[in-house]
Amino acid sequence: MRFKLPLLAIGLEVAMIVLFALFVHYETDHNVHQQINTTTPGAVDKFLVSYALFQDVHVMIFVGFGFLMTFLKKYGFSSVGINLFIAALGLQWGTLIRGILHHHNQEIHVEIENMINADFSTATVLISFGAVLGKISPIQMLIMTIIEITVFIGNEYLVGEIFKASDIGASMTIHAFGAYFGLAAAGILYRPGLRKEHDNEESVYHSDLFAMIGTLFLWIFWPSFNSAIADAGEKQYRAIINTYFSLAACVVTAYAFSSLVEHRGKLDMVHIQNATLAGGVAVGTCADMEIYPYISMIIGSIAAMVSVLGFKFLTPFFATKLRIHDTCGVHNLHGLPGVVGGLAGIGAVALGASNKSTPAMQAAALGSSIGTAVGGGLITGLILKLPIWGQPPDQNCYDDSVYWEVPRLREHDNHFYEHGGQNQLKLEV
Amino acid sequence: MGSKYPPSVRGCLSLWILTLEVPLILLFFFFTKYESSSKTQRELMGTYGVFQDVTVMAALGLGFLNSSLWKHGWSSVAFNLFMLALGVQWAVLLDGFLNESFSGTVVINLPSIQQATMSAMSVLISVGAILGKTNLGQLVLMTLMEVTAFVVMRMVSKQMLSTEDHTSMMHIHVFAAYFGLTVAWCLSRPLHKGAKTKDQMATSPSLFAMLGTLFLWMFWPSFNSALLSSLKKKKLAVFNTYYALAVSAVTAISVSALAHPQGKINMAHIHNAVLAGGVAVSAPCYQIHTPFVAMVLGLIAGLISIGGAKCLPVCLNRVLEIHDSCGVHYTFGLPGLLGGITNIVLMTHHTNWTKHPINGYQLLLNSGALSFSIAMGLASGLLTGLLLKLKIWKALHDQAFWEVPHLAVGF
Repeated sequence: MRFKLPLLAIGLEVAMIVLFALFVHYETDHNVHQQINTTTPGAVDKFLVSYALFQDVHVMIFVGFGFLMTFLKKYGFSSVGINLFIAALGLQWGTLIRGILHHHNQEIHVEIENMINADFSTATVLISFGAVLGKISPIQMLIMTIIEITVFIGNEYLVGEIFKASDIGASMTIHAFGAYFGLAAAGILYRPGLRKEHDNEESVYHSDLFAMIGTLFLWIFWPSFNSAIADAGEKQYRAIINTYFSLAACVVTAYAFSSLVEHRGKLDMVHIQNATLAGGVAVGTCADMEIYPYISMIIGSIAAMVSVLGFKFLTPFFATKLRIHDTCGVHNLHGLPGVVGGLAGIGAVALGASNKSTPAMQAAALGSSIGTAVGGGLITGLILKLPIWGQPPDQNCYDDSVYWEVPRLREHDNHFYEHGGQNQLKLEV
Repeated sequence: MGSKYPPSVRGCLSLWILTLEVPLILLFFFFTKYESSSKTQRELMGTYGVFQDVTVMAALGLGFLNSSLWKHGWSSVAFNLFMLALGVQWAVLLDGFLNESFSGTVVINLPSIQQATMSAMSVLISVGAILGKTNLGQLVLMTLMEVTAFVVMRMVSKQMLSTEDHTSMMHIHVFAAYFGLTVAWCLSRPLHKGAKTKDQMATSPSLFAMLGTLFLWMFWPSFNSALLSSLKKKKLAVFNTYYALAVSAVTAISVSALAHPQGKINMAHIHNAVLAGGVAVSAPCYQIHTPFVAMVLGLIAGLISIGGAKCLPVCLNRVLEIHDSCGVHYTFGLPGLLGGITNIVLMTHHTNWTKHPINGYQLLLNSGALSFSIAMGLASGLLTGLLLKLKIWKALHDQAFWEVPHLAVGF
């Protein structure tokens, strides 16, 4: 671990810098012919609007996804830290690969849109990270990042340029793709040793609160995520409104169902952290289409329902029968709502809410997203299964101390600050 | 335990703060007015967005960044807010008074508040070096001194050395770092035994600090592009900062693992070193025309920062007896120096390239501005440190100022 990870990461980083030096340039006066345009009000407006949207997406990727995964009691550092690590590397790789597919004359020009798309491509990796959280090493994560972003951008090109399907909030291409990719990899990497409940695989009071920070940031900024690459004007506006109402309806339904399925009607924090976001995922595909607000509210409610029921019944079934262990439940937060979003998109196009695409093409987009995800995930899982990547042994899963210098003092969870100055500290054994 | 508590701060603290706030209000009453001519909606929204980002960085980012010390979280976050509020008021006034076009009244508009917020950030950066070793009364004095010194420094280098607004603001990192270090040097005293344990890190404070780091990390492009005027320069600043930060995050995390005997990553390094790229690229960001230069800068900054984190505590703490609580020197000081030097090199390169005749003089002025900001930081830091040493209060942890819940979190 001491040399493998740093050398691999620094090697990749140097390779990135060399590739950037060769191919990537900024839009400058030399290659923009109408340079008068850059100072007109239109250009300033466009920059301001897209920069604001970019920042919202940025917050979702780094704080939202990072903190959403901190719910494990001993795995907070890795969730946030490795999240930052792979997202920072992934966005560079994403810029490059996307640029190569959409290039003009051997050069990639960076604009705010490229940065938004680069952040989007890291989102898929972070979603898959949720499925394998705690069971693989940072080195394996690095390899998965590189492979997954490549496959993702290939699939996105297929959906957007060849099928010409509409998927503005990327329900299918990001959420369903990321979830099924992660599940396929987790299935290959299944460990019989973790079949029983692992000691560290649980949350404590304050780790659940940390996860809630992530949920709230994702929830607040989701309208920006779904509208960031929409055409400015009416479509962008519709995407914002639809996502907003879908999320609102989703929260209410998620609370209701969480109380319904739990013993004695109590709320389950896991459902609150995850199912409240399902509405944003599900409305993604048809966010910018001409649908009424009540339709998006129905979509949000269905997504919340599917998500809560998935957590309650499907995740245990997956873990025991199908031998796929999904740590964060990404299948319920991203996978199923993503499929719901894809189906809603087919329906909306069939009912004439958009003239840009046909139901068949939407269906093809959904199929290809899931198909490439499962295929790519299986191959990645096989590569990651090679015993040279420093995979943690079973008893060290879900534990930060394998990769992090963990503070020697760990506060005793139930008696924090009891009795003034006395240290209620326990020495980590 | 009760007898060991520091003395009650009831009387003097509130008195000292109120006697400060009343004159400030009076000064605002006599000398300020809002800008009357309304600008266009678009300009307002543009400035307001950036202004918000800078405020988030100052209040949330820098506040939580320093909250990693065990038992010092409340003080870090809340004193940070306090100093920001005080510093902004004072900086708005000073900016107006020292402006060359000052004629009786200070006109306040959104850009001037934004600039004041950025000036006040100098205090929030330096306080990382003396965290936990000063009390609120001392911090008030330090805020006033440092904001004054910083605003004076900017005015002088603008008028005498004809430095641009952006460049002189970006010297904030070196200025604040060396100011903080000098104050820490003045205040250094052998820590008593109990203090050792309070310097420890714990898990959830570390995660809170990570939240602060992430907020700084995400909004750094806004900070670097805030004072640039043309759209083209703003864009370059945003893009360069984005890539430099990404590279420094990757570098910091992997080198941190390399530096540990068992290859473990240190969270304290991550808190600081991932930001080094943003600091390093801050001054020259509008002059870099290809992303890879920014990325190389980010890589070097990450290496310097982790190297500093590994070596500096050993040298500085032992030799100079400086105790830099939150690693201000290697987060802001050294990468800021790297950025300043790169800025000078790029500027000469650029003037050579376009065949301008006066590059020698320009070079001299730029290096003058950089060294002036360091010198000013050291000198004013020394003065402040000596002043702060006059009163000796002993307050190391939250209980002097806060009512800590005695039977917290039972569930």
